[in-house]
Amino acid sequence: MKARKILSLALAAMMAAAAVVSVSAAELTESNSNGQTEVKAHIDGGVPGDVSYIITIPDTVDFETLAVPENNTDDHNKDVTYTVTMTKLVGLDPAEKVVNVYVKDQNAVVGSVEQFYIANKSNADVKFAYDVYTATGANVNMSTNVNFNTMETNGFFLTGFSEQGQSLTGTLRFDLNQLYGESLARIAGDYSGYMVFFSAIEDVQ
Amino acid sequence: MNKTPHRKKTLLIVAAALLLTAAAVAGVLLFSGVFQPKQTNAQGVVGVVTDNWDPGIDEKDKPKQSGTQIPGYSSAQMKAGDKTLKINIGNPKENKVGMFASVKLSDGTVLYESPLLKPGQGVTEVPLNKTLEKGTYDAYVEYQCVLLDEKNTPLNAAQSGFKLMVE
Repeated sequence: MKARKILSLALAAMMAAAAVVSVSAAELTESNSNGQTEVKAHIDGGVPGDVSYIITIPDTVDFETLAVPENNTDDHNKDVTYTVTMTKLVGLDPAEKVVNVYVKDQNAVVGSVEQFYIANKSNADVKFAYDVYTATGANVNMSTNVNFNTMETNGFFLTGFSEQGQSLTGTLRFDLNQLYGESLARIAGDYSGYMVFFSAIEDVQ
Repeated sequence: MNKTPHRKKTLLIVAAALLLTAAAVAGVLLFSGVFQPKQTNAQGVVGVVTDNWDPGIDEKDKPKQSGTQIPGYSSAQMKAGDKTLKINIGNPKENKVGMFASVKLSDGTVLYESPLLKPGQGVTEVPLNKTLEKGTYDAYVEYQCVLLDEKNTPLNAAQSGFKLMVE
């Protein structure tokens, strides 16, 4: 009889513990329900404070070795490509909203310094410009030159994404002719420059 | 004569029941948040940086890509005078680089700066350097990407713009 009593007490304790687990699960459900309420109030890109989209940008773009050309009468360009992708996008009505992407140089200032530069790591005063295009190959021309346009506060308009999976592959072009006639003693060395990609959900124009 | 085997059997049943009870109680503590997730040592920086940061959107069909993934936002909300802001800032685990994240207003006012966020680390609620009055502000999260080397060599950066609504 004593053993049965002990066994009954142990089983009762187990059942009490299981009941607490159920309560915890109910609390989690309640919390999720609150989140859904917020979604209803903001259908233009997700719950406030939550991640609405993920874009993928190039972490680095490398022109590698830049050689001084034999003349500056012909075109001598060094091209490298870059890609920006809308990796994930939720809750956006493509008829109303779009994720616009802009790009600028890290040191760009609207109205004064708007070009893209790479600077000598040992002497930042030695720097050379490069151009950004939204196309590759034969389509790299003035009409696809991003920094030929007017720069806005957030940078030069690059592209707009309305669906997940969309991407833009463009070109960064370094005109080697700007090295022609330069003293190697002055310009030799490693160069770097950084791009800043700005993105935001905006109204479809 | 048969008392000893019977007692042994009873004790075994009781021991098994107690073990199951202990397991159930441990489960309850786990679900109720008594065991917090592992936190990094964010010395000198206010805010809780956690591992296993989740951007909160379905990732099952997300393709593997080169480059760095940057989270973007539509808006964030807070009350006038609040000293914290709920916003899901982090470095997606797919990345190979580190990030320093900061929350800024479009006029350059810095509201928050994170410590180094390694892939998979992030914050969901940030303490603010200043309180804001009612209104709608243009704001952005700046992600400065860096190599995970000793110098945290800078890489390209990204800014995710959003509307900050202070009610």
